[in-house]
Amino acid sequence: MNRSLALLLGLAAIVVIAVLPVWIGPFYTRVAQLFFFSAALAIAWNILGGFSGYWSFGHTVFIGMGAFAAAHFVTQIGPIGSGPFSMVLPILFAGLLCGLFALVIAYPILRLRGIYFAIAMLGVGQVIGELVNNIRWFQGGVGVFLAAPAPGGMPPEDFFYYIFAALLVACLIISVVVRNSRFGYALLAVREDEDTAMMLGVATERYKILAFVLSATLVGILGAVYGYSVGYFTTYTVFRLDFSLNMIVFCLIGGIGTLFGPVIGTAVMLFLTQVLLSRFLDIHLLITGALVVAIILLVPGGILGALKQKFAGRAAVRKSVEA
Amino acid sequence: MNEIILSGRGVVKHFAGLTATDNVDFDIPAGSIYGLIGPNGAGKSTLFNLITGYYDLTGGEIRFKGTSLAGIPTYRRNQMGIARAFQISKPFPALTVRENIRVGAIFGRPEKVDHEKVVDEALAITGIADIADRTAEGLTVGTLRKLEIARAIATRPSLLLADEPCAGLNPTETQEMVNCLRNVRGKGITVWLVEHDMKAVTSICDRILVIDAGRKIAEGTPAEVVSNPNVITAYLGAPIEEPAA
Ligand SMILES: Nc1ncnc2c1ncn2[C@@H]1O[C@H](COP(=O)(O)OP(=O)(O)OP(=O)(O)O)[C@@H](O)[C@H]1O
Ligand SMILES: [Mg+2]
Repeated sequence: MNRSLALLLGLAAIVVIAVLPVWIGPFYTRVAQLFFFSAALAIAWNILGGFSGYWSFGHTVFIGMGAFAAAHFVTQIGPIGSGPFSMVLPILFAGLLCGLFALVIAYPILRLRGIYFAIAMLGVGQVIGELVNNIRWFQGGVGVFLAAPAPGGMPPEDFFYYIFAALLVACLIISVVVRNSRFGYALLAVREDEDTAMMLGVATERYKILAFVLSATLVGILGAVYGYSVGYFTTYTVFRLDFSLNMIVFCLIGGIGTLFGPVIGTAVMLFLTQVLLSRFLDIHLLITGALVVAIILLVPGGILGALKQKFAGRAAVRKSVEA
Repeated sequence: MNEIILSGRGVVKHFAGLTATDNVDFDIPAGSIYGLIGPNGAGKSTLFNLITGYYDLTGGEIRFKGTSLAGIPTYRRNQMGIARAFQISKPFPALTVRENIRVGAIFGRPEKVDHEKVVDEALAITGIADIADRTAEGLTVGTLRKLEIARAIATRPSLLLADEPCAGLNPTETQEMVNCLRNVRGKGITVWLVEHDMKAVTSICDRILVIDAGRKIAEGTPAEVVSNPNVITAYLGAPIEEPAA
C-alpha cells in the first residue's frame, strides 16, 4: 500500500474512532470497547504464536496477573497521581511484572516445541490462577476493587473505549514494527524451521524469549486496564480459559501470523457473537463453535489467507494470459 | 601446504549404547573440496551435527580456524563461518526463495554488507534467480537442494558442510550441483561434501575421508581411497568404479 494513502486512512480511522461513541450509544460503545480489547489481545498473542509459531494456550495468565498486579499495586502503594493518570504506574507495573514472569519461565518452557509448549502454557495459566485464588493474600477468591478514575463527566464506557482504542493502535504499531524488523525475520525463521534458523546464524533462543516477554508484557498491560474497566474482579473474572481460546480463534479466523488478521478475525467473530447472535443467547455458543469449525475447514489460512490466495491466483492467471 | 580450517581429534559421539562416531580425527585443508563417504548409517550426518553443534561431543575436540568449538552454540558457529546444507532439505516453506536466502544474509556472518546484493549473488551462483519470488513450498527436489546451498552461502561462510546435495537428483541435476559446488569453492569457500555417488565424489574432491560404523577407515586422495582394501570391504567387497579421468 502507498505510504501517504495508509497515513490518510489511519487519520480517517482515528477521527471515526474519536466521534463514534456519540453516535452509537452506550451498548455499542461497550461492544466496540470489547472489540478493541480483544483485537489488541489477539495481536499480542500473534507476536508470539503467529510470528514465531509458539502457540500459547494459557495467555490469560497474563491478563489475570496484570489485573491483580495493578489492584495490589494500588492497595499496597496507593494511587500515585490523580484522575486517569493514577492508572499509569499500576498498569506499567503490571506489564513489567508479566514481562519478568515470562522471562523467568521462558528458559524452561520455550525449550518445549509445538503442542508441548501450548499445553505447558495451559498448565501455567491453571496453576497461577489457582494460586491467586487460594493464597489468601491475593484475595482472588473474594475479589479486589480497582476504581476507574474516568475524567470528570465522561461515562466510563466512553473512557475505556478510548483507552482500549489507543492500546489497540499501540499494539498494532508494535506488531508492524516487529514484523518488519530483523527481530521479525528471526521469528518467522523460527516458526518455519527452528533448526535451520539456528544453522543460518539466528540466535533462536534469544528471539523466542524476546517475543514471549513482549507478548506477555502487552497482555499484562491490557489485563490491568481490563481490571480497571470492570472495577471489581475475582480470579475467575480474569483467569479465563475463554480469553486464552479467543486470542487463538480470532487469529486463526483472520489469518494467523499476518499483521491485520487478528483484527479482522476479532471483528468478524465479535460481530457474529455480539451483534448477530445476541438475540439467541441460549444457542449462541453452539453456533459460534460450529462457525469456527466451518471457517477452519473452509479457509485454513484464515480470511486474509483466503483473500491473498484469491488475488495471487488472479495475478497468476493474468501473467499466463500476458505471456 | 594449505592451512587447516577445521580439525577434529579423537571425536566421539555415543547415543544410548550406540557409538555413532568412534575416535575420529580429521584435518580439512582450507580452499579444498573435501569428501566424506561411508555406507548408510556410518555416521556422516552425525559428524556434521557435531561440527555444527546440533549434538554435543561425548569426547574429543573440534577446532575451527584454531578455536575450539566446545560450548559454542550453533548460531554462533554459523556466524564464525560454518554453514551447512541439510541432507533432508529444510526450506522455510511459507517464505519465498528470496526470503529464505535473506534469512541467511541477515543473520550470518556479522558484517556491514548489502543483504540484497548477497542474496542476488547466492541466487546467481546456484542458478535459481528465475524462481526467486516463488514460495519454497512445492519446489522440486533439485531446486530445494540448490536453495539449501544458496541459503547456506548467503551467510558468507568460510566452510560449507554439504550433506548429500546430489541425493535424489537426476544426472543432469547432479552435474549442475557439482558445477555449483565448484563455483562455491571458487568463491574461496572450503567445501566438505558427503556424497554417495562415487563418480561425483571422486571427480570433484581433492581428498576424501572414509568412515564406517563411526570409525575412520581411510583418508587420502580419491585414487588412494578407492584402491584401499578397507574401503572396498566396507562397501561389501563390491569393486569400486575407477575415478573418472
Ligand atoms: N539422534 C540420534 N539418536 C540415536 N541414534 C542416532 C541419532 N542420530 C543418528 N543416530 C544413529 O547414528 C548412526 C549414524 O547415523 P548418521 O545419520 O550419522 O549416518 P549417515 O552416515 O549420515 O547415514 P546416511 O548415509 O543414511 O545418511 C546410525 O546408526 C543412526 O541410527
Ligand atoms: Mg546422513
